[in-house]
Amino acid sequence: MKRRVVLVDDHGLFLAGVRAELGDAVDVVGEAQTVAEAVPLIKELDPDVVLLDVHLPDGSGDAIINAVGPDRPGVKFLALSVSDAAEDVIAVIRAGARGYVTKTIDADELAAAIERVAHGDAVFSPRLAGFVLDAFRAGVEVAGDADLDELTPREREVLQLIARGYMYKEIAARLHLSVKTIESHVSSVLRKLQLSTRHELTRWATQHRLV
Amino acid sequence: MPRRFFTASAPGRVLAGVCAGIAQPLGVDVTLVRVVFALLALAGGAGILLYLAIWAWSRSEREWWTILLLLVAGSLLLNAVGVSDRAVAGIVLVAAGLTLAWRKGGGLRPDAPLSYGGIALAGFGAVLLLGQGSAPTRVLAPGAVAGALLLLCGPWLWRLALERDAERAARIRTEERADVAARVHDSVLQTLVLIQRHAGEPRRVASLARRQERELRGWLYADQPLGDDGSSLVAALSAAAADVEELQGVRVEIASSGDATPDSALVLAAREAMTNAAKFAGVEEIDVYAEVSDADIAVFVRDRGIGFDPKAVPDDRQGIRESIKGRLERAGGTATVTSLPGGGTEVELRLPR
Repeated sequence: MKRRVVLVDDHGLFLAGVRAELGDAVDVVGEAQTVAEAVPLIKELDPDVVLLDVHLPDGSGDAIINAVGPDRPGVKFLALSVSDAAEDVIAVIRAGARGYVTKTIDADELAAAIERVAHGDAVFSPRLAGFVLDAFRAGVEVAGDADLDELTPREREVLQLIARGYMYKEIAARLHLSVKTIESHVSSVLRKLQLSTRHELTRWATQHRLV
Repeated sequence: MPRRFFTASAPGRVLAGVCAGIAQPLGVDVTLVRVVFALLALAGGAGILLYLAIWAWSRSEREWWTILLLLVAGSLLLNAVGVSDRAVAGIVLVAAGLTLAWRKGGGLRPDAPLSYGGIALAGFGAVLLLGQGSAPTRVLAPGAVAGALLLLCGPWLWRLALERDAERAARIRTEERADVAARVHDSVLQTLVLIQRHAGEPRRVASLARRQERELRGWLYADQPLGDDGSSLVAALSAAAADVEELQGVRVEIASSGDATPDSALVLAAREAMTNAAKFAGVEEIDVYAEVSDADIAVFVRDRGIGFDPKAVPDDRQGIRESIKGRLERAGGTATVTSLPGGGTEVELRLPR
């Protein structure tokens, strides 16, 4: 069954391009260009996945996730952006997005990412992996709980390989693990990040001159 | 518009209802108000004029009449209590001048124009008052003049201060705009010209656009300085990546965790690795990851291309042996090349800190 997808982006040209590129791979059921448009639309359509721009004219992507999330827990969000600012990306991930990819991603990879997010898995681009490693490595309490403040050595290894440009399949082969195990490590990292408090991440961002 | 606390009242009115109108909101007996007006009327008729002034005031369109009547009533009253003609004239002139200034909209609103006629009138009145000889006015006059000056000039000074603030804000805005314009001109406009000139070469256009994107992003997010200012390894790697992109027509994705001061051997070796990947791997995209830990700096350059057998590379191949391995080893680091035919290539560069 094809995944039902809603696109949220304020660049009409980009929307058209993504729709054309995705072609038959997914079923694009709706489009919105602002936070105000997107929230009721997503609630009404209840899609599998929402492809979300980080920056919108009337707010940022995390506003949509926060507004829709409680009512429609089944909807998964994948952030899609040209923004390189770690702060923005981390904010959307913390709000509950299952991943972040840059807009330069090619169509097949995007379709694969949508599928993975729809399954409840996480999608990390190399850049996001770098940001996340940075956040944990800075030695800042990320979650305020000893078990959650640190990445396990295995999680760190997996994130480093993602940052180096390896795909899950390649990482699995290299570490002699299954792709499923790699996915669960990445999801666990995502969970730790989402449990962190705003205050602590703000401190991290301040240390990195991001705010 | 002045707020009217009273309206000439119909119930219990004798003449125009002014006394009843005043008594009602004040909660005093009408008779008392009438007695006061009657006593004031004895003072040269001031009470009558005051009564007329208040009546005129209750009809909103007759404000000038109100003011005129009040001025005359006031001067009659002052005269009646024994103030000299000259002092009365001075006080009336000051009052008229202030009124004029207020009426022109000067008053306490700093954005309104000053009434020079009002100032002149009040000033003339003040001179009259100051020239007055009798004891009580000699004490009163300087205070009155100071108060009048403050009333007149205060708003004006305030307005000056506001204008200065606004001017400074505007100047800062202009400077910022000029700065943005200069940057846009140096970078974006130049790139657009180049793109138009090379419109027939998609690869070159793509790499020009990519380089520009990287530069703009670095500037916007201040993550990386615009260009390479020599203080950041990530910025130096980005600059090297941009060169490779432009020369070889590939995409280089840079990820990083941490940053350090750049080491030229490391950056040059990484650049050589990117160039090799672009030339020989047959791919469109190269991933570069820089990680700075307490112990060392690691840079990974990876492609998913055709790969090769490192053992089969002849010794005279300069690229890997000299430009990458030799360079890193002389700087005290290590370079490892991992490659499999068909499985892509990764160059790992490590330099102890």
